[in-house]
Amino acid sequence: MDRLRYILEDALVNIRRSRWRALAAIGTIAVSFLIVGIFLIISWNLGALLSEWKEQFQITVFLEDGTTAEQLSLLKKRIQSESAVKAMTYTSKEEALHSFRRELKGKESLLEGLGENPLPASYQIRVHEAYQTPEALGKLSAFLGRLEGVEDVMYGQEWVDRLAAVVRILRLLGLSVGLALSLASVLIVSNTIRLAVYARAEEIEIMRLVGATKTHIRAPFLLEGLIQGGLGAGLALLLLYGAYRATLWQLQQAPGPILGMGVGSFLDAQWIGSMLLAGALVGAFGSLISVGRFLRA
Amino acid sequence: MIQFFHVTKTYGRDLDALSDINLEIQKGEFIFIAGPSGAGKTTLLRLVFRDELPTSGQILVNGRNVVRMPERAIPQLRRSIGVIFQDFKLLRDRSIADNLALVYRVLGVPSGVGKRKVANLLRLVGLSHKVQLTPYKLSGGEQQRVAIARALMNDPLLLLADEPTGDLDADLAVEVMRLLSEINARGTTVVVATHDMNMVREMGRRTLVLKAGRIVEEIPEVGMARWKPAPRPVTEDVTI
Repeated sequence: MDRLRYILEDALVNIRRSRWRALAAIGTIAVSFLIVGIFLIISWNLGALLSEWKEQFQITVFLEDGTTAEQLSLLKKRIQSESAVKAMTYTSKEEALHSFRRELKGKESLLEGLGENPLPASYQIRVHEAYQTPEALGKLSAFLGRLEGVEDVMYGQEWVDRLAAVVRILRLLGLSVGLALSLASVLIVSNTIRLAVYARAEEIEIMRLVGATKTHIRAPFLLEGLIQGGLGAGLALLLLYGAYRATLWQLQQAPGPILGMGVGSFLDAQWIGSMLLAGALVGAFGSLISVGRFLRA
Repeated sequence: MIQFFHVTKTYGRDLDALSDINLEIQKGEFIFIAGPSGAGKTTLLRLVFRDELPTSGQILVNGRNVVRMPERAIPQLRRSIGVIFQDFKLLRDRSIADNLALVYRVLGVPSGVGKRKVANLLRLVGLSHKVQLTPYKLSGGEQQRVAIARALMNDPLLLLADEPTGDLDADLAVEVMRLLSEINARGTTVVVATHDMNMVREMGRRTLVLKAGRIVEEIPEVGMARWKPAPRPVTEDVTI
C-alpha cells in the first residue's frame, strides 16, 4: 500500500515539476483525439442517417391508368411473393393528388388548370436491407417493370450508394488519420517522458543504488504517461462536446430541417470509454518506450 | 562478509582497474582500502554492491555470489548494503529530509516509521536542526554527514564508504571517522576507501593497500586504534 502511494505521489510530483512539458503532451494528445473524434462523430451520424434511409428506403411502382381490381390484386400477389419485399402500401390516384395538393400548400392554384387527375396510382415497396444492393435492386426493378399493369419503377438508390461510399471513406480516413496521430502522440509522450527521465536521472541513479526494483523506478513514469494520455483524451472529449453543442445550435438556427432524423447524436458511453482508454494506453506506451531503454539494473 | 577470489576488472582492452584481487573481510570488521587515486578503490567497492561485474573471478557478499546473481536479486543485495559515495549523490533540489526519505520510499516502509528513522539518523549525525535545508546550504562536512545518514537508512549489515573524508579538513575528517567507528561498534561491517595514509596510520585498523589495481601491502590491525570505542575488547591492548 505504502509503495503504491509513493509511486502515485512520484508520478504527480513528476507532472508538477514538468508541468509545461506535460501540458504540451496533453495538448498534443487532445488535438489528435479531437480530430479522430470529429471523424468518429461525423461518420457515426452519417451512418445513422444511412440506416435511417435504408429503413425508409422504398421503390415506387407506378401503375397504368385503368387497371382493374383483379389485375391489381394479381399484381399485389406477384410483388408480395418476392423475397426482397418487406412491406407494400397502395396509393390511389386520388390519394396521390391529395398529398400533392398538400405539398403545394398555398400554391394550389397551380393545379386548377388540370382537368383530369394526371397522377398515377402506385405501390410503395419497402425492401429488406439485405437486398438494398445496386445489383439486387436493379434485378428487382427490372422484374417489377416487366409486370403487367406497371408503367414505371423509381427508386433513389444512387443516393444511398453515394452516402454509403462517403461513410466508408470517412471511416477509412478517420482510421488512418487516427492511427497516424496516435503514433505521433506516442512519440510525443515518449519524448516528454524521456525528458522527465533525464531530469530525474540523478534520482533514478540513487534509487537504483539503494536497491529500488526496476518496476518501482518505472512505475511512476508509466503512471505519468497514463495520466497524460487519459487527460489528453478527456480534454479532447470536452472540446468535442463543446463543438458538437455549438454545431447543433447552429443547425437549429438554420431555417428548415437541414438534416433528417437520426442525426445529431454525440458519441455513446462505450466510445467515450474507448477513447479515454486509448488515450491512457497511448500515454503508457509512449512512456514505456522511453523508460524501458533507459534503465539498467 | 566479503570475499574476492582472483577478481580482475578490465575496462576497455587492456586497462586493468583491478588484477587478481583476493581478499576476505570479516563480519563486524572495520577495514581500510587505501591507495592513491586511480588505484582501483572505487572499482573494488562498486564490485561489492554489484554496480560493476568483474571481468573474471568470483565475489561473495554475505554468503551470496554476486557475480552469478540474477539481475532481479540485485535490489535485495543493495538493500543490505549502505554506500557513502565519494560525490555524496545527494539531490540538490530536495531537502535533507527528502533525500533520506528517498530510501524508505524505495524500501516501501510506511512513512511514519520512515520519518522516525530520518529523525533518529539526523540526530546521530548531528544535523537535526537542518532537516529542511537543501544540500546547497550545507557545508562539505555536513553534506558528508547527510550522505552517511542516508547510507544508514536501510540498517545495512555492510557500510561502504568511498573517500568519506576526501574534501574535509583534518578536524572534520576525524569527526567523520569517529562516526564511522561508532557505527561499526554497533555491529555494522565498515569498509572505507581512502587515499589518506596518515589517517590510516592514525586509526590503526586493518588496511589493504592498493596500487595500480593490485594489493601491494596488508597492514594488520594495531592496538592503538584511536577512535575505537571503549567497550570493544580489542581496545584493551592499547599500547601507547
